[in-house]
Amino acid sequence: MSSLHLKDFVYFEPTTTAEVTSLLAEHGAKARIMAGGIDLIPRMRAGSIKAEVVINIQKIPELSLFEYDPAKGFRFGAMVSLHTLDTCQELKKHFPIIQKAINQITSVQSKYMGTAVGNVCLATPASDVSPVLMVHDAELIIEGTQGVRTEKVADFYTAYYKTTLQQGEFVTGVSIPKVAEGTGAAFYNKVRTHADIAKITVAAVVNVQDGVFQDAKIALGAVAPVALRARSAEAVLQGQPISEELIQKAAEVAMNDGSPISDFRSNKEYRLDMIRVLVGRALNKAVNQAKGVQHV
Amino acid sequence: MFRIEPKKSEVVSFIVNGQLKEVILKGPNQTLAEVLRIKLDMTGTKESCQCGECGACTVLVEGEPVLSCSTLAIAVRGKRITTIEGLAEGGVLHPIQQAFIDSGASQCGFCTPGMILMAKVLLDENPEPTEDQIKEHLGGNLCRCTGYVKIIEAVQLAAKTMKSVGA
Ligand SMILES: Cc1cc2nc3c(=O)[nH]c(=O)nc-3n(C[C@H](O)[C@H](O)[C@H](O)COP(=O)(O)OP(=O)(O)OC[C@H]3O[C@@H](n4cnc5c(N)ncnc54)[C@H](O)[C@@H]3O)c2cc1C
Ligand code: FES
Ligand code: FES
Repeated sequence: MSSLHLKDFVYFEPTTTAEVTSLLAEHGAKARIMAGGIDLIPRMRAGSIKAEVVINIQKIPELSLFEYDPAKGFRFGAMVSLHTLDTCQELKKHFPIIQKAINQITSVQSKYMGTAVGNVCLATPASDVSPVLMVHDAELIIEGTQGVRTEKVADFYTAYYKTTLQQGEFVTGVSIPKVAEGTGAAFYNKVRTHADIAKITVAAVVNVQDGVFQDAKIALGAVAPVALRARSAEAVLQGQPISEELIQKAAEVAMNDGSPISDFRSNKEYRLDMIRVLVGRALNKAVNQAKGVQHV
Repeated sequence: MFRIEPKKSEVVSFIVNGQLKEVILKGPNQTLAEVLRIKLDMTGTKESCQCGECGACTVLVEGEPVLSCSTLAIAVRGKRITTIEGLAEGGVLHPIQQAFIDSGASQCGFCTPGMILMAKVLLDENPEPTEDQIKEHLGGNLCRCTGYVKIIEAVQLAAKTMKSVGA
């Protein structure tokens, strides 16, 4: 056993969100939020994150709330665990790809401890959670000393492991709008082994009215410095009559939306080609679902 | 607001396997695994990867599986903690422990405490799991010796004995 120990830090246990924002404002970049801690603690131990102040948000009751409102959609707080979401029947019913993306995470313990918001705030390009939230147009609720603002998950990432969070701000929850009639969704990822993080993740949500793409959202993970929406591929579909040719065209255009690298998980060429394959597959599946065709 | 400074002594308590344990923490930077193994001398809990990947350090906090290598001890003060030492009763092994022995599901034994505690969480909730449910539930626990087949057989055997003795 290696014997790495955590370096010294000051530990705070706020019970309100206002206490969190004032601590963050006071301590700036020296401070880190701890939600489940499943990512933070190992990184602090390894020294890749140096935190002089740790702010544990586990004792703020309102952050553990979640609710489905048929008129509005689903909301959940920053301390709602991946396990709670995985086993939430309403999430599974109304947003099945979000539940699926969480469900396929293999480590059960990491789902009990880890939060979906922690996963999003990590800002890893290989998140399975961010792409499914992006295609459902989910918004983060962000609180700072100046008040509350919202930001779409799709606009949250600015660069590799960087977000739009400013000093004094943290994420208190997520709000996912309700799904309109005629909507279908799909999620795919490719992994080396089931326990490894994805080498590519693709999510799609389409809304179909009278054979036309009323709306199409596509998101990609692990093929660029950040998880992102494939906006140029979406533009190909928007308002157009559905056809296999159109879907294949969008899938090809989506290759320009990514900028994958080669690493030990996969190489650039494979990832690019898999964008095409999986975007095509995801769009077809989402369209069939939107039309009420059972997918086999 | 509760706060604790580096190196400052703080007396905290845990209910470990039903017994109240008091520990003096020197600052907040000790993990639950360190407190169990070093302060309480309960070395049944293993630490292997120290980064959340292997599940060897699994303990139950208020009945839920937690990776003690990635948990700050200070954050779970006052809570009920179950470790592998808490499973046997009056010198009699828990049916899951016995099943691991009978199935040859433990070789070096490093993964075994985590495997057994995860199996307990599963069987407490779902007394007759399918093979797929067992595999899914142990997805966060790595074994480098046994090769999983015997571990899955052990959980199946434990489910059978627990059913027959009504445990
Ligand atoms: C074994 C294992 C397997 C995994 N497999 C997968 C997988 O297959 N797919 C996948 O997508 N992910 C996977 N993960 C990643 C996992 O989902 C995340 O690490 C976890 O969700 C992080 O949540 P947390 O609450 O523990 O975050 P923490 O570790 O507490 O925090 C993570 C980071 O986010 C910041 N943060 C947390 N909450 C907030 C907030 N509310 N506001 C602002 N900043 C915040 C923290 O300061 C920290 O920098 C895996 C992790 C492990 C350990
Ligand atoms: S030692 Fe904690 S998960 Fe490996
Ligand atoms: S028995 Fe050696 S790691 Fe599982």
